[in-house]
Amino acid sequence: MKIVKNRKRTLLSGKSKVWFIILGIIAGIIILKSGSAVVSYTSSDKYCVSCHIHPLADQSWKLSTHYNNPSGNIVHCSECHLPPEGHGYLYAKAKHGMKDIYGYLFKDSAEINWQEKKMVEKARGFVYEKSCLECHQNLFPVTLSVNGGNAHLFYTTSKEPLNCINCHLNVGHFDKNAIHAHDTTFGVTVTASQEVFTEAAKVDKFENFNEKIPGTNVSFEMVAIRGGEFNMGSPETEPLRKPDEGPVRKVAVSNFFIAKTEVTWNEYLAFFRATGSQGRTEGQVVKNKKVDAISGATPPWGAPDQGWGKGSRPAITMSWHAANVYCQWLSKVTGKKYRLPTEAEWEYACRGGTETPYFFEGSPKDFTSKGLLKKIFGPDTTKIASRVIYSVNSSSRTMEPESVKPNPYGLKNMSGNVSEFCLDFYSPDTYKADTVSAVNPRGPVRGQEHVIRGGSFKSDARDVRSASRDFTKTKAWLVTDPQMPKSIWWYSDCIDVGFRVVCEADSSVLK
Amino acid sequence: MDNINRRKFIGKTALAGIGLTGAAALITSCKRKPDSKELGLPPILSGAPKGKKLRAGLVGAGARGTGAAINFISSGPDLEIVALADVFQDKIDACRERFASFNLPIPAENCFVGFDGYKKLMALPDVDVVILATPPQFRPDHFLAAVSNNKHAFLEKPVAVDPVGIRSVITTAKKAAAIGLCVVTGTQRRHQEDYIETYKQVAGGAIGTITSAKAFWNQDHVWFREREEGWNDMEYMIRNWNNFCWLCGDHILDTHVHNIDVINWFMGKHPEKAIGYGGRHRRVTGDQYDFFSIDFDYGNGVSSHSMCRQIDSCANGTGEVVVGTDGYTNCVNTIWDLNGKIKWQFEYPKDENGNPMNAVKIPPYVQEHMHLVHAIRTGNYVNEAETTAISTLTAIMGRTAAYTGRLITWDEIFKSDMDLGPSKIEFGPVDMVFETPIPGTPVNV
Repeated sequence: MKIVKNRKRTLLSGKSKVWFIILGIIAGIIILKSGSAVVSYTSSDKYCVSCHIHPLADQSWKLSTHYNNPSGNIVHCSECHLPPEGHGYLYAKAKHGMKDIYGYLFKDSAEINWQEKKMVEKARGFVYEKSCLECHQNLFPVTLSVNGGNAHLFYTTSKEPLNCINCHLNVGHFDKNAIHAHDTTFGVTVTASQEVFTEAAKVDKFENFNEKIPGTNVSFEMVAIRGGEFNMGSPETEPLRKPDEGPVRKVAVSNFFIAKTEVTWNEYLAFFRATGSQGRTEGQVVKNKKVDAISGATPPWGAPDQGWGKGSRPAITMSWHAANVYCQWLSKVTGKKYRLPTEAEWEYACRGGTETPYFFEGSPKDFTSKGLLKKIFGPDTTKIASRVIYSVNSSSRTMEPESVKPNPYGLKNMSGNVSEFCLDFYSPDTYKADTVSAVNPRGPVRGQEHVIRGGSFKSDARDVRSASRDFTKTKAWLVTDPQMPKSIWWYSDCIDVGFRVVCEADSSVLK
Repeated sequence: MDNINRRKFIGKTALAGIGLTGAAALITSCKRKPDSKELGLPPILSGAPKGKKLRAGLVGAGARGTGAAINFISSGPDLEIVALADVFQDKIDACRERFASFNLPIPAENCFVGFDGYKKLMALPDVDVVILATPPQFRPDHFLAAVSNNKHAFLEKPVAVDPVGIRSVITTAKKAAAIGLCVVTGTQRRHQEDYIETYKQVAGGAIGTITSAKAFWNQDHVWFREREEGWNDMEYMIRNWNNFCWLCGDHILDTHVHNIDVINWFMGKHPEKAIGYGGRHRRVTGDQYDFFSIDFDYGNGVSSHSMCRQIDSCANGTGEVVVGTDGYTNCVNTIWDLNGKIKWQFEYPKDENGNPMNAVKIPPYVQEHMHLVHAIRTGNYVNEAETTAISTLTAIMGRTAAYTGRLITWDEIFKSDMDLGPSKIEFGPVDMVFETPIPGTPVNV
């Protein structure tokens, strides 16, 4: 016993202990030195580019103001995509490094949805606010413009979390379609010089017709929907439903016409050209009791079509108010009664007589991309992918109507592509309220936000079910509008909402 | 959390805001008597310190402008007025004569007449400081030009007449802060020793937690000018600027803003909303009201009643009252307990007979300029533009509440696109209609 004790002592004392400590210090220095060399090497542009096979990242960075600028100052990959040292630098580096290694080993870069990663929601995950502010310490340089001053005042006083990239999304990677200004030329020039319609379509029977917008060469198809009774909402047995979709109730709607597709840019720009104005009404709801002179939208901020193209793609980013004024204008120029669909009309038209989760066969459980198993094996896309534009097949943008099959009523993109405004205010309790009429029901009498239906190109399969409900989020959708007051015509922060029109089938139309 | 950090970061460049927020925190939470610096209070000086010669240009050479220029040169050594700008030659001549009578000539080549005169003045490289004393309509543009030309600035109150102007002033204030340009405003009560000492008492808890307030500026009618032959629309309005809202902002801004500013200062914040009344019965020219009565709601049940009137032979008086849980104060020199017994009183200096005088030794109009020069020469940075812009916007919120009859919230007025005045500022006919505002909508018959 005694000997053993002594041996232990000799091991940890005397000369060997000194050597042990010296060796330890040397080893420590080597590890630290090489460690910091490794850290700085793996944060260099060269290292990033060596495996980031994203073909455009390097090129678009070199065209951006963070590389190609008059001062000759180059901002390197890790200066934006990692937080500054002392603000979780190593943790973030490890986290992103792991993700990158996983992607490098197990993913095909050609199949990664780069378009989606460019959206501000995603970009927030790998562009660090603190890094922006580390360099940009003066938000009020003497040369700042009036709009810039307003926007930065808003940023510094906002109670909602705001990121620099909410407005300055493309400063690190150049995007030729991005405009950071009022686009006063938006939709102003008419390119085609085709013959224009002199009068609107005449309708004397309750059947499909082709509406013509007088004074333009724009026409669109309206589908006659024979009224009837249906079960509105989703039963509790429907997979992945939400509580606001129930209880299911029997509802009847009258005959109506509904547009075959969502309102296209061609249609919306006809309105924009005819009524566009600089006028705006501050903080108040515009009541157009007399619509002799309809004052329309102001020039948008940035590019409302996101550079994806206009034509027959659905018009997006207009406010509910703008969509509503569009209907008033369309009614005036066609002499018919156009408006947004009620929520009941919308669901009736979407279902096309079906009572299943979708207007085609299949279960939300199989179609959804959520869940670990789906991440590994991928969701089922048969049937849905040819009928709905949603997160799996959209490439994170809107599509033209030709790319999908219609529903049983011949309507396209009721589910997916863009969410559609309804006439009704939203309430989660609409279906529970027993005061609601069972014939042509309407939503709450008063409210702040309106119903939107159908899901969009951003939605998971579960949110493009016929019964799915959602609503406008006015405040969040205007967060980065730098104008004071904010626009009543365009949302600055919502790119996946649009609408389709309904035409009332009463005697004023059926002459 | 992000936002708090960002605020901290922004705070570095926004010293102007510290006075308000710092004071609020101290009033409610601090037992120890805070010192002047913590409270964001200016030093009480008997004169501006010596230093490099400072040359000032005066923009707006009317009565107040000339007065401010004289206040500036009398605030310390080596201070000069070297340039003038005004839209009228006669104002420039009068101001030059005044300075010539002190044996301080202003060179003719440095005097600029016309709406763009200020630009020429600001472009003079020798000018270090500008004194902006035109009608408040023009202040935002003048202030921006001053900061863009690296000039320190003295801004007469109010600093704008509409929210567009207010946001411009706040933005320019931040730009000035970022490059170290000092800005003092003509809110003289904040530079007056008796007010400052009373504020220290209240900040130290002398009246407990503030529960209500009152601010008033009731006086006889003010000056106005009838139109003279040969005056075009623009010349007439500017010569009679005190009576047109687009130039003056109405008297709730022009004079009552002093009282409103004191209440914001003592409350440590601006009100959240306003409801108010006003009307016009006696005025001869222009489009403004004779009287306002506004309830400014500061939240948590705390209100300030603000009233101002300009009618002859009525009960007059100006001042403020702030009531707390342990007493009340007139904000200027006295604190009472809730039974009306005096708890504290400011000691005024004594005259040669040993009797207390009824005013502080250094007039606050001069003390303001001492602060500006002190800040420039010692590096103790000062920037009051944002604070005064907030108080001016408070007055605009009250005015809008009275003009429209509506409840006006801070958020609405802060973001409003109200932009008064003609689109083009030039002499000649002006295509504007001057209807006195009528609140609400008519009864449907």
